Amino acid sequence: MVRTVKTGLVIAVVATAFSLQARLYAQDNMKQDGMKQDEMKHDKMQDDKMTHESMAKTLFTGKFHGKVHATSGRATVYQEADGKLVLRLTNFKTSNGPDVHVILVATKDAGDDANFLKNNTERVELGKLKGNEGDQNYEIPAGTDLAKFQTVSVYCERFNANFGAAPLEKF
Amino acid sequence: MNKITNSRLSRNKLALILIGIPVLGGAWWAFRPEKLFINEKVNEAAPFTVGSEAQPVYTGKLEGKIHQTSGRATIYKSADGKHYLRLTDFMTANGPDVHVVLVRAEDKALEQEIVKGDLDHVELGSLRGNQGDQNYDLPAAVDLNQYQAVAIYCERFHAIFGVARLEQF
Repeated sequence: MVRTVKTGLVIAVVATAFSLQARLYAQDNMKQDGMKQDEMKHDKMQDDKMTHESMAKTLFTGKFHGKVHATSGRATVYQEADGKLVLRLTNFKTSNGPDVHVILVATKDAGDDANFLKNNTERVELGKLKGNEGDQNYEIPAGTDLAKFQTVSVYCERFNANFGAAPLEKF
Repeated sequence: MNKITNSRLSRNKLALILIGIPVLGGAWWAFRPEKLFINEKVNEAAPFTVGSEAQPVYTGKLEGKIHQTSGRATIYKSADGKHYLRLTDFMTANGPDVHVVLVRAEDKALEQEIVKGDLDHVELGSLRGNQGDQNYDLPAAVDLNQYQAVAIYCERFHAIFGVARLEQF
């Protein structure tokens, strides 16, 4: 009888110890930050230095929104191997119009209102809109501070109207 | 009398034509109304060699639910057709039994922090670290049109740490 009680006690103690350990372990887990740094998957790229060097890095990306003129698609800023910055529009669609340009604006986002550049918002001209539909690339002038110019706008110069804007976020 | 009115009429007409045509021309130049119906479609290639590099197909930003979570979730398609999920600038709380799962973006369960009942999800694996860049292979059969959100999910407590709704890259 005493023996059974003793065995029972031992089992209880062991079980408590186990559960405590598990809990301690969990707490440990909570405090410790497991850092992990997976390399980008390159397939064959890692061996092939030439191809690797001709790769472009994706820096920023954002989706277009537009109410005045329905505008959709994605704007992405790439850095080419030689350091050049390129803005690429994909799945892009806006309405056609006169004197439409692609610009970078020094704001976090641009409203959908026309006449949105009245308060002397700084901007960087990237060129005339090449087409109102489809994938297209625009060179970004060297030295453009992308931490400052955070929004892409499709912009009608003549009427100072914002067709659509894409706020850029870090990729 | 009749002649005079006629000539005045024609003079008016002439004036109208002389003024009207340039005005119309100017208005046309300014507004280019025909552009409403004419699309200019372009299709430029990417400005760099794509090669065998994996391409991003979907991306989204992580938003914290029950725990602060941030970073970007991107689904890449590698040259051999396999998909994988990559988390970048990633940060969440550490915890027990945390998994990376694909969920349905429109799932009502995502509005709660603690899921009641079962969460319809595709398991990608245990979270490898609560900080840092990391990759997870996607099962070959997964339908990315159905599961368009990534969740950091504690299976033990049915707690959603964070969610990223994916959008086409």
